[in-house]
Amino acid sequence: MNINRVKALAFKEWREILRDRLFFSLAFVVPISMMFVFGYGIKMDVENIPFAILDQDRSAMSRDYLHLFIDSRYFDYQGDVEHEKEIDNLIADSKIRFAIIVPPKFQETLLSGRPIAVQSLIDGTFPFRTSTSKGYVAAINNAFNTQLLTAYVTQRMGITPEQATALVSPIKIEIRYLYNQEIKSIWSIAPAMMMFILLMTPPFLTALGVVREKENGSIYNIYSSTVTRGEFLVGKLFPYVVISSINVVILWLMAIFVFSAPFKGDPLFFFIASVIYVTCTTGIGLLVSLFAKTQISAMMITVVVTIVPAVLYSGLLVPIASMDEASQFEAHLFPAMYYTDIALGSFLKGVGMEQLWTRVAALLLYTVILWVASYNLFHKRVKA
Amino acid sequence: MGQPTLVNTVVSEPIVKVQGFSKSYRKKLAVDGVDLAINKGEIYGLIGPDGAGKSTLMKAIAGVLTYDGGQVEVFGEIIDSEAAAEKIKGRIGFMPQGLGQNLYAELSVEENIDFFAQLREVSREQLISRKRKLLAMTRLDKFTNRPMKLLSGGMKQKLGLVCTLIHEPELIILDEPTTGVDPVSRRDFWAILTALLREQNIAALVSTAYMDEATRFQQLSLMYDGKVIAEGEPDQIIAKVPGTLVELIARPQAVALSQLKSIFQQVEAVGAVLRVFVEGQEEEAAIKQVKSLLSGQEVSEIHASQAEMEDAFIALLSQANLTDSETAPSIDTNQASEIDASQKDKLAIEAENLCRDFGDFRAVDQVSFQVRYGEIFGLLGANGAGKSTVFKMLTGILQPTGGEGKVAGQDMLRANQAIKERIGYMSQAFSLYQDMTVLENIRLYARIYAVARKELKQRVDWVIATAGLQGVENRLAGALPMGIRQRLALGCALVHQPKVLFLDEPTSGVDPVGRRRFWDILIQMARVEQVAILVTTHYMSEAEHCDHLALMYAGRIIADATPEQMKEALVKAAGELLEVTTDQPLLALKLIEQAGFEEAALFGKKIHLLAKEPQLVRQQIESIFTENNITLHSISHRHPSLEDVFVYQVMTHENEMARHEY
Repeated sequence: MNINRVKALAFKEWREILRDRLFFSLAFVVPISMMFVFGYGIKMDVENIPFAILDQDRSAMSRDYLHLFIDSRYFDYQGDVEHEKEIDNLIADSKIRFAIIVPPKFQETLLSGRPIAVQSLIDGTFPFRTSTSKGYVAAINNAFNTQLLTAYVTQRMGITPEQATALVSPIKIEIRYLYNQEIKSIWSIAPAMMMFILLMTPPFLTALGVVREKENGSIYNIYSSTVTRGEFLVGKLFPYVVISSINVVILWLMAIFVFSAPFKGDPLFFFIASVIYVTCTTGIGLLVSLFAKTQISAMMITVVVTIVPAVLYSGLLVPIASMDEASQFEAHLFPAMYYTDIALGSFLKGVGMEQLWTRVAALLLYTVILWVASYNLFHKRVKA
Repeated sequence: MGQPTLVNTVVSEPIVKVQGFSKSYRKKLAVDGVDLAINKGEIYGLIGPDGAGKSTLMKAIAGVLTYDGGQVEVFGEIIDSEAAAEKIKGRIGFMPQGLGQNLYAELSVEENIDFFAQLREVSREQLISRKRKLLAMTRLDKFTNRPMKLLSGGMKQKLGLVCTLIHEPELIILDEPTTGVDPVSRRDFWAILTALLREQNIAALVSTAYMDEATRFQQLSLMYDGKVIAEGEPDQIIAKVPGTLVELIARPQAVALSQLKSIFQQVEAVGAVLRVFVEGQEEEAAIKQVKSLLSGQEVSEIHASQAEMEDAFIALLSQANLTDSETAPSIDTNQASEIDASQKDKLAIEAENLCRDFGDFRAVDQVSFQVRYGEIFGLLGANGAGKSTVFKMLTGILQPTGGEGKVAGQDMLRANQAIKERIGYMSQAFSLYQDMTVLENIRLYARIYAVARKELKQRVDWVIATAGLQGVENRLAGALPMGIRQRLALGCALVHQPKVLFLDEPTSGVDPVGRRRFWDILIQMARVEQVAILVTTHYMSEAEHCDHLALMYAGRIIADATPEQMKEALVKAAGELLEVTTDQPLLALKLIEQAGFEEAALFGKKIHLLAKEPQLVRQQIESIFTENNITLHSISHRHPSLEDVFVYQVMTHENEMARHEY
């Protein structure tokens, strides 16, 4: 390996990336904007669900019942309606996500000791949000039932409300959330976003950078010169690894300072693991570039081979453990999963090399395979 | 090869030996059984149209492409594996096809050169001295800090050459280095190659699609469809097809053309002149035969001369039965009389002081010219001279900053839509729909131009007949060979019977046979249908076909005359063009240059120079040669080409502008 030639190649590439507006924005602007867009965009927390009320009883009890919903921080009260028809329109226009209809004679029926059904209409468009809403509604409804029961027991047995509560609901669940005490989804999303962005942008940049040379013919400078295959690959891709490593730092700082995610792990370990990860994903781009003939096809292939594993097999949406066996196997074939573990472990759990070395080793192995395969597939004397 | 009289010449093995070379892409055979040998100190040419297999052969010799059959030997190394190819790459310089495509757009001129030097491990001192020399030779030394993407086409190509030469290769392989390059840069290019040949005794393999560059080579192969159809020195190849070129002026031209076509295979109208290649006949007999055929017409200025490479090429093709036998477009001479004579001499296009600024940059500066109905007018100039901008203003795509333009009697500024219906426009890229058939394309254009429903069928039939598209009506446009696709594009532009036709670089990359057919149609349109045709081009051979030319340089028209007038003006201003044939061309060229003829240039084994007083110069050269023991074979007159005109005009203007600057 002739270090001067590698340097010449790397320096040329570096200058081209910095001077070409398209490449510069792909290198730096795109990852940062992705972090902003997804960081603010993907919120898994369900809060402030807009809803409306149809109170056909207008009694003291119906007001008490409905106030439990109105006062909740999970719901956002939009007002009363007069007719059921209005509810349909409001849900159809996405003005509200659910509505509660209290039937006539609500108080009368309850006081007479008979059960009564309160209707809740929930927008089922987004299953995840729907089930969350349903859970909240059921919980609030339970709370009101317990309240009624407690009041009844207090009155009937002549004991204090505290005693009555203990009698009515003797078991209480006490939950402590580990690693993410406030269950803020952004805490886990910011590290996962790093996984996602660093899986997508380095291969994009790399594949375009190599295929561009193929497309316009400057690759023939390499083919026809005495530069060896290894020198070319190292020199050409070194700048891309450096850029991605700079992005690691930028995204990391954004996760901590913009999205207030806690970082409990070892920064040095995390940085080194991240550099291995971007070297690996740069390798994906390199491999793609050896098959693609045009920049357009390079982009298409990169999208397919990176977005699918990043979304489906990384643990971003569905935990790996809850996948079926075939999917779990597939997840192990992509680098995304390993880095998700490293990122979440470093950010939230504060674990390091000791616990995560298998993941780092998997990424290293992945990197070596990609680069060796690319080296063997790259030829300076081509077939067409 | 090595003559016994030249003591110092060691009879050496050829640097490149190719035997039985063949290569297929997928199942398509691209090159089939080619043999060639390149010697040291030789510029070897590969001439042929696009798709002839030139690039494939060159890449295989450069060791960057595998091949299927035969053997390629370079510097004694048989190139049959990647490892073998690596061994010779240090001694080769390879420049792929495409204007500046192998360069890095974002890097400056100097950065590009430095990168290639580092890649080739040129030492610092060598780099500095070579860079200085090559930059001066290419006249790029003023632009070292300019990013490559801002260079003109010719400059890019010269920079590409500098980068390819920076490690002083022994063999340089240049794939179509002059395609799309303006004539002045082309001249520079050949001058550099000649100098290298002289100083370093290198070998060069150069491909071109221009037949008129054939005389530049010492040895060449004519390629067509993957095969070599002739090999040897340029004169030898032309001599393979015995015959005479007869040039004449006949009136009416269209009638004479169709009469000649019935007997001779190669007839074409070049401006006012008809060129007839009479195969197998000596000069006098040929003139006699042509004259007897045109007994009814008014014939003038008839004379005979040696055939050119293009005539030989076409004759060789038809001998080898390689020309496709589809029907040539027919010329309907009966219509000629029906044309309203009053149309003639009326102005179809009038440009008056057209100006166009882009920011501070004046792209078009006070351009005025006139085109009559029935006239083919060429707007000639290098890339970036302002041709396209003039075009866009006249077709109403771009608003002029100043001046006026009238097309078909309408003011460009006001009657936009009306004009568009009266003009036909064919762009450089042939705006056809590749996934539609020939017929569908024609119908689509007919509807776009609002051809009446009842006329539709008749117009479509007319286009098919005129453009010679019989038999391919139902084939996809994208699957057609370049020449036919181009005629289809022309047919589409003519479907609504426009009276004015705009053609933007119409025949780039088409083989000579296809190009001649294309011009046949244009001649018919102009002579018979009285259509005014405005053509932009930077191909000199295309310009020769025009009735009238305007030469553009830096946004201005610097010459406006017929091709003949331009050539006469050149002879008046710069002297006669002399061709010197000798046994030691390189040494002779050096001596002639030293004697004060700096513009002298090497064409193959001959030397061209301009002489104001031919008799005096003759004597001068004769005495120089006797002093230095050089045998003079002959000094003959040559007709200057339009390229000579162009180069002279542009150089004169460049020098004038430089004088104003300092």
